[in-house]
Amino acid sequence: MNSIRLQLLKWLLGPILLINMVLAGLVAGLAWTPAQVAFDQGLFDSADELAARMQAGAQPQLPVRLGGERVWFVVRDEQGQVLAGAAGFPRLRPGKTAYEAQMDGQPVRVVARLVATPGGTRQLGVARTLRQRLELRAAIVRSLAVLVALVTITLVGVVWLSVSNGLRPLARIRAELAARGPGDLAPIPAEQIPYEIAPVVTGFNELLDKVEAVTRGQRDFMADMAHQLRTPLAGMQLQLEWLGKRHTSDLETQRSLAMLNLANDRMIRQVNQLLALARAREGQPAKALAPLDLAQLVQESVQYFVEKAAEKRIDIGFELAPAPLAGEAFQLRDLIDNLVDNAIRYTPDGGRVTVGCKVKGNETRFVVEDSGPGIPVARRTDVFKRFVRLDEKTTGSGLGLAIVRDIARAHGGRIEIGDGVGGGTRISVRFRALPPAAARH
Amino acid sequence: MALQLLLVEDDPVLADGLLRALQAQDISVTLVRDGLAADAMLSSTGVEVAVLDIGLPGIDGFEVVRRLRARGSATPVLLLTARDAVEDRVRGLETGADDYLVKPFATAELVARIRALARRHAPPSNALGLGRLSLDASTRRARVGERPIDLSVREWGVLEYLLRQAGRVVSKQQIIDAILPWGEDVTENAVEVYVSRLRLKLEGAGVAIRTIRGFGYLLEAAPE
Repeated sequence: MNSIRLQLLKWLLGPILLINMVLAGLVAGLAWTPAQVAFDQGLFDSADELAARMQAGAQPQLPVRLGGERVWFVVRDEQGQVLAGAAGFPRLRPGKTAYEAQMDGQPVRVVARLVATPGGTRQLGVARTLRQRLELRAAIVRSLAVLVALVTITLVGVVWLSVSNGLRPLARIRAELAARGPGDLAPIPAEQIPYEIAPVVTGFNELLDKVEAVTRGQRDFMADMAHQLRTPLAGMQLQLEWLGKRHTSDLETQRSLAMLNLANDRMIRQVNQLLALARAREGQPAKALAPLDLAQLVQESVQYFVEKAAEKRIDIGFELAPAPLAGEAFQLRDLIDNLVDNAIRYTPDGGRVTVGCKVKGNETRFVVEDSGPGIPVARRTDVFKRFVRLDEKTTGSGLGLAIVRDIARAHGGRIEIGDGVGGGTRISVRFRALPPAAARH
Repeated sequence: MALQLLLVEDDPVLADGLLRALQAQDISVTLVRDGLAADAMLSSTGVEVAVLDIGLPGIDGFEVVRRLRARGSATPVLLLTARDAVEDRVRGLETGADDYLVKPFATAELVARIRALARRHAPPSNALGLGRLSLDASTRRARVGERPIDLSVREWGVLEYLLRQAGRVVSKQQIIDAILPWGEDVTENAVEVYVSRLRLKLEGAGVAIRTIRGFGYLLEAAPE
């Protein structure tokens, strides 16, 4: 993946490193040149001294050591015969400049000149070892290397920090987007956005606007359709009820009416589920969150649950303890209705359903347990997909758990599917509990 | 005397269904199909309960209620609507409607709510009954058929409350609150004891007190 941080580091650090090295070379040269000149001057002085002696006809001689370095000299005639001094002296190149050579396996600096003596022209060479000079040079190079390394590391650190600092607004936007619930398409606040990324944010916000408009359009359409269908469905239900009461003796008619009723009930449920889904998708629940008690919400629907359960002779029970949380009452009611409705729907006649809520630790839990067939472990993630039904025989819409999941997510809750006592299903939704003090008002 | 009800609904299928369903419940229904007609009907007397659709031709249900309340009338109003958005619900009740029912609904639910509204706005009745059980609140006498039954004060309180809420699930706490308005101490266990005694005494009365596990009770006509 392409990283702005690495790109910036690469583009900044390469040149910085190069400049540092060039500077280090220059500094080394500057420090080195005067030392070289002074050293060579010492050699020239020694050579001058020897030459003066030779011109005076005296025997050339020189101390063996000079300033901590080994010193040699040689006097040769014009044919190159050694007349005095060290044997094995390197080749002489008389001139105004010093040069480097090897002597006894050591690097040396050599000065050579021609001297006119009473006995004829002589070649004079003076050599001196370079140990100290090499040490000096090594010391200079070492210090420079350390210096360059330190400067480089410091620069890497500074560049890293400033790049991170520069990228912080992006990290903030990312965190803000990651923290959003599903369906939260509010624009990114434009304050505190640096000039450079403002166009990106503006573009993104425009896109969010468009998506939001499309989503809202779809949601409104879905809700409108569902609402439009409710009145005729209600009318049909009443007419069917009336017909059913009139034709009690005709079994064929009763059967047909029962089928019509079933179809009508199914449509009613589907329409209600679509509305619940539209509501769950509305998003931005943060705005509407209010402190409320799940136990209270369950109580409001107890009548409906008991009637539903009675139709299938299901023993429905409640374990309701105060269960405060911050939520949106309509959506949570949809969540409760769907879970209890599912439990009753999938539990065979004469079964058992228990609805409970409580606070455990810092979690508010809503639990529905049934004695139905259970959900196989392998299918426990599938059931949250829309229009997925485990059992084609039941009349579910396949929307229930998708709605439940959307609502739970919008409330920062999570759903767990487990085994109920005796092979049924136990679905528990866990929310962050509200401190009891906050739930009271 | 049959309950005098004004029904305002513009959908012909639903209106016709409602008319049949309510008349079958011994309710006398006058049907109008638009807001202005409803407003006119409500201006004259004789309507005990009004059932109003919100989406109506002419003026909508909210406006009908607003005008009704503006005239100072206390006639109970039940709003019927296809919408169940929070705003609609809140708006309906703030405008002065007494209850709210979302389409589609069960006939039993609608009838129960209509009767509850009528009861709330009628002088309290002393005679209560279900099956062969009858209670006279003024004399605090209970009978099964012709046979009087003997009830303690607390048992009487529990039974009266259950009978007034017949068909509805009530929690033990609701029972406690209803029989002890002065804040005496009664535990939920005590309520269970009263209910089990009542069950014994009500044998053959054609009523059953169903236990809703972990919650409370429901008094209903016993299947014969």
